[in-house]
Amino acid sequence: MTHPSLAEMISRLHKLPAMPAVAMELLSSLASDNTEVDALARRIAQDQAIAARVLRVANSPFYGLQTQVGSIRDAIVVLGFSSVRSLVLTATVVSGLPAGRCPGFSQEDFWRHGLAVGVAARSLARALGRKADNLFIAGLLHDIGRLAMVVVAPDDYARVIATAHEQDCPLQQAEISAFGYDHAAVGAALAQRWNFPADIREALAFHHAPTDGTTGGPAALIHYADAIAKALDLDGAENTLLPHLDPATIDALDLDQHTLARVLAETQEGFDHCSLLLG
Amino acid sequence: MTPSSLVPITDIKPGATLAEALCDASGALLRPAGYVIAEADLENLQRRGIQTLVIVTPRDPAEDNRLREAARARVLHIFRHSADAPEAQALLHAVLAFRQEHFR
Repeated sequence: MTHPSLAEMISRLHKLPAMPAVAMELLSSLASDNTEVDALARRIAQDQAIAARVLRVANSPFYGLQTQVGSIRDAIVVLGFSSVRSLVLTATVVSGLPAGRCPGFSQEDFWRHGLAVGVAARSLARALGRKADNLFIAGLLHDIGRLAMVVVAPDDYARVIATAHEQDCPLQQAEISAFGYDHAAVGAALAQRWNFPADIREALAFHHAPTDGTTGGPAALIHYADAIAKALDLDGAENTLLPHLDPATIDALDLDQHTLARVLAETQEGFDHCSLLLG
Repeated sequence: MTPSSLVPITDIKPGATLAEALCDASGALLRPAGYVIAEADLENLQRRGIQTLVIVTPRDPAEDNRLREAARARVLHIFRHSADAPEAQALLHAVLAFRQEHFR
């Protein structure tokens, strides 16, 4: 059985639906300090379906607002641009990147897991005193290479899913056995093509091999956030399996039990509210 | 999730706990989730035209124990390849402790 090589896979990435324009603008604003917030707010508000979903979350009890916000502009004033940007990006990519048909692949579970890792990464970042915005987005998109593989080679990927199920092994291991590379390699190529900020690129490329990234950096946080999301069983999949943890990476993060307990509680609560974004 | 049910306000006794925040038609918060309802609240809310409330349903301890055990078994299933791995111990113990409290 021949599978597309990594070079062939990358050359076929144009088959992927284009990243929605608003999502691209929001992603590039992550790396820039002089974003035109007003103009961006107007652009977001033009997509009423996205705006409605974002307002639904902004008005959920999680944010504890005393009065409801009725527009994207109000939401930015009350919650801050970075919070609203994360919500809008989530709603945009979830509805804007359809996976097509691949037996065994659940797009709903895929995005539930991405969102869960984003929420866990944001909580971990706060606990460690890091900037949380980019980590939320990195978590949301960390497995985007898998979505690309599903779109480019749906039949091959269906066999990967079946093999992982039969052998009770992580999907990543089954990807390497079948293709010779994994979704992290495809995700890294995609992140470069879409010109993602450097820290998000690093997280996508190395979240399964965090020692290849910066010590304690974005890949390390997404590595642990991935495990936290799985451990909390947030993706809704039946055969959830904790990913392999890298001992040196977990040691270096040096989280005490009290902090870890807080991260778990924040992740569960944050996910319950943000999952309203999934439709 | 805390079990809850939608109950006509006329059937609610003082001491019941709100399962969800109660807002009026304009979205203003009237009572937060977790609020314990007093007799005066029932009259006050009825005057405002509130007809039903979502209140916390009392729990059955035997059912709670069964759910707690099922939640523990599910965590161990997710950790089935790493329950003995030293690097996974902190997360395993933290999640097991979390599921003792959050098992629904």
